[in-house]
Amino acid sequence: MSLITPGAAGKTAAEVTRSQLTGGKRDTAGLVLLVLLLLCTLTTLLILGVLLQEVLVDAWPIMSERPGDFLTSTIGSDPATTGVWPGLYGSFIIGLGVLVLSVPLGVAAAIYLEDYARHDHKITQLILVNIRNLAGVPAVIYGVLGLTIFGTWLKGITGGSSVISAALTMAVLVLPVVIITSMEAIRAVPQGLREGGYGVGSSRWEVTRDHVIPYAAPGILTGVVLSIARALGEASPLIMLGAITGLLPETTLTGPFTALPMLIYNWSGRPDPVGGDIGWTNAAAAAGLTLLILVIFFNAAAIYLRNRFERTRLGV
Amino acid sequence: MKASTKRLFAGAIVASLVVAACGDDDEESTPETEAPAATEAPAATEPMTSEPMTTEPMTTDGEGGGGAGGETPELASGNVFVTGSSTVEPISIRVGELANELSGGELLVTVEGPGTGDGFQKFCAGEADISDASRPIREEEAQTCADNGIEFVELEVAIDGLSVITNPNNSAIECLDVPGLYALLGPESEGFGSWSDANDLAAEVGAVQSVPFPDAPLVVFGPGEESGTYDSFVEFAIADLSEERLGEDNDFTRADYSSSPNDNLIVEGIESADTSLGWVGYAFFQAEGDRLKGIAVDAGDGCVAPTAETIADGSYPFARSLYIYVSTTAAAENPAVASYVDLYLSDEGIAKVSDAGYVQIPEDRLAATRDAWAAR
Amino acid sequence: MLTIEDLQGNRKQRRAEIVTRRIFQAAALFSILVSLLILFVLGQGTWDFFVGIDWNFDVLTDTGWFPRRERFDLRTIIVGSIVVGSIAMLVAAPLGLGVAIYLAEYAPSKVRAVVKPVIELLAGLPSVVVGFFALKFIAPEVVDRIFDPTQSRNMLVAGLGIGILVIPIMASLSEDSISAVPGSLREASYGVGAKKVTTVTKIVLPAAISGLVAAFIIATSRAIGETMVATMAGGYDGSGPYNGFNPLEPGLTMTAAMTNAAGGTDAVKAGPPFDVLFFVGLLLFFITLGLNTIGARFVARVRQKY
Repeated sequence: MSLITPGAAGKTAAEVTRSQLTGGKRDTAGLVLLVLLLLCTLTTLLILGVLLQEVLVDAWPIMSERPGDFLTSTIGSDPATTGVWPGLYGSFIIGLGVLVLSVPLGVAAAIYLEDYARHDHKITQLILVNIRNLAGVPAVIYGVLGLTIFGTWLKGITGGSSVISAALTMAVLVLPVVIITSMEAIRAVPQGLREGGYGVGSSRWEVTRDHVIPYAAPGILTGVVLSIARALGEASPLIMLGAITGLLPETTLTGPFTALPMLIYNWSGRPDPVGGDIGWTNAAAAAGLTLLILVIFFNAAAIYLRNRFERTRLGV
Repeated sequence: MKASTKRLFAGAIVASLVVAACGDDDEESTPETEAPAATEAPAATEPMTSEPMTTEPMTTDGEGGGGAGGETPELASGNVFVTGSSTVEPISIRVGELANELSGGELLVTVEGPGTGDGFQKFCAGEADISDASRPIREEEAQTCADNGIEFVELEVAIDGLSVITNPNNSAIECLDVPGLYALLGPESEGFGSWSDANDLAAEVGAVQSVPFPDAPLVVFGPGEESGTYDSFVEFAIADLSEERLGEDNDFTRADYSSSPNDNLIVEGIESADTSLGWVGYAFFQAEGDRLKGIAVDAGDGCVAPTAETIADGSYPFARSLYIYVSTTAAAENPAVASYVDLYLSDEGIAKVSDAGYVQIPEDRLAATRDAWAAR
Repeated sequence: MLTIEDLQGNRKQRRAEIVTRRIFQAAALFSILVSLLILFVLGQGTWDFFVGIDWNFDVLTDTGWFPRRERFDLRTIIVGSIVVGSIAMLVAAPLGLGVAIYLAEYAPSKVRAVVKPVIELLAGLPSVVVGFFALKFIAPEVVDRIFDPTQSRNMLVAGLGIGILVIPIMASLSEDSISAVPGSLREASYGVGAKKVTTVTKIVLPAAISGLVAAFIIATSRAIGETMVATMAGGYDGSGPYNGFNPLEPGLTMTAAMTNAAGGTDAVKAGPPFDVLFFVGLLLFFITLGLNTIGARFVARVRQKY
């Protein structure tokens, strides 16, 4: 390699060094790859953007004119005056059901699997594999489960096709997610914290209650919030349970019910009036926007919680 | 849920969805002003101008010329639960909204449409006050009702007509008879790609209208098996011949046609091919009149074109009755049920049949229905 | 003197210990109960279905999916699921992988801080909203314009919609496995003078391959189990003929066949046309279980390696 005087070639020393390190050629392959990766990322972001825009634009005729009325009116036969009140109520109860049912159950299971169970035990292994598999079972199958167990077997308690049945079904559906995220949060609790507890004479339950759960709380909460968002957005179990889309002036726990995803599904399929101003497309989009805002709110909360959680864990 | 808590709840949701209310007036006042709408049918004062399928009402409502029982009744307050046919559901919904509106939110009607069979199951178990039906109740269903001590009255409320349609450019076909339709669309026609393929079968089953069929592509569009209109079509055009020739449980159309859940897609399909063939509900055909050509139908009494008149007077053969079954037990115990049915059968209520896309029953049959209700 | 008794704590503590342990254990065992119930419910319904069709297996190969005619051609719905799932993966695999590589290897931390939450937002989209988007945008504005299909709802539209839903799953699982590749491998690569592109394509991706395969398999399982978009945009409501592998034709997926069977029709909602949903559910359960198990094997391989 001959020595090149920087000044003679009209280049700075840094440029020369760089060109020698990179072999002196322009990195075409690297550029192509980077462009491809950027294209993938931008396409994905673009799809999300177009989707949000489509929902917003279609929802606009209703959401700009009568947002309050839309949220508080009951469902009806006219897209220009229909509301989503029963759907909001149903979705609210479903979210509440998930919170009340799957959180204690999921967190308890996670504590057992992380802190109590012996990991080399066959039954523990079975439970762990089983939970992972349950997390991958399609929602529509949970719908079949809910229809049979809560809609038919336990009809006397749940009232059959009711919002209680829907909430129970969704709680079972998100349980694996709650368990898995809670386990991860509990696993991240420093062992020293537990040992410190034992050292001062606490029992395992006291350590769990006073140290493990509080420390893991933000991580557990992240999973909980994501689970609620998921439960709010699932539609197929609602179809299985027979959520109604006709007329529902009264919202009850054990009577006929509906929820936001069911309304979006049903309204999307209804024909729009010829030449009419506001059609079912608009109503479906407005209901979709309502659901999106709820779900995005929960997801954003989860992202915020997780970031905080990570910072705490890193001791920042 | 009580109105006050609902209002609070609604307020909380509105407040939490500030984003949804983009640039809206201040949200504190929203629950205040919108609260009545939460308990009433959607915007009572507005005329429903954008129905999915509007047809011209056959009788102008509100003229009060309906004879006995035509006046809008006084409405009791309470709850009514209507289940049953998804075909009849749109009528019951509209009458329910009217009831809610006229009673100032006192008469609350819940309507669902799981299907005629499901409806009777619930109805005869005493779980519903009224069951909508697109066919008369079956003997075994009536037996279940009797076993459970549910007494009921059957009320004919509307007519569901259907139109056999083709492309307006198809000048060769003006009228088809039932055997001809069976030859073109019945279970034995599977695989026929040309109208002329059906000629042998048509001759065998005794078709006389428009035979022999032209040698032109036969492209078929219609609603899927899930649709009430499919059931009607099979009942009118296929069932008798399929039972005679193939035995029971073969009352289906051919399987190889483009089925669609959306009437608009059927119309697009019919428009896409000059010699297409299909069927849609009468109301939809009427609304899309210029894009389609209705084929007259001969069920043994000559060709009759589908019009509101021929359907109402019973001369058009492809029309069936829609019913509501009212539990007289429930009606006796719950004045709200009686009120709802009173309203259903009043001039104002029965006018909703047209709004929902069906044909109103003629005066004499309406009078018979009212008499049946009065004599319960 | 400290005795064992002292170390065991007082009686109250011990009783609480036993009770809580039992409660936690019961909670963990509940998940086993859920699995057993799923199998029992699906199995029982499947039994009813086969009794309903008199164990006549011919109906499972009769042409087309027409529950009311007792024609339950499995080929129709399985091919429907394969076509829709394949299209979804054709969209989601390259896009998801691209996003993952970009985020893991290239994105400056500021860009990453914005893009990653947005992708997670995409993961939170309710499938019914994506179904709406497929019906009202992908069908009329994309597929109709480019391919002009005979019917605007078809398997391509459903597949594209599901693809959107699956991108974030593919992206996040791939990113996890790429990030799991130890930094030392990259440094070694740079150390011998390799360019970034060489390092990524020749070192990092091959090292992460098990995880990427796992991501692909698990995402495929999701795509096949996804219900709403297929029901809304697939083109048939509960019945339809076998249309082969042409994605521009309408079709039924296994999931869409299930929701439609549950909805029933005005005339029929009992017997085999209804019970078939348990049978299809059982098939779907085992298909997704199989895919997830294979996926988990690959994930385990990554864990072992690093």
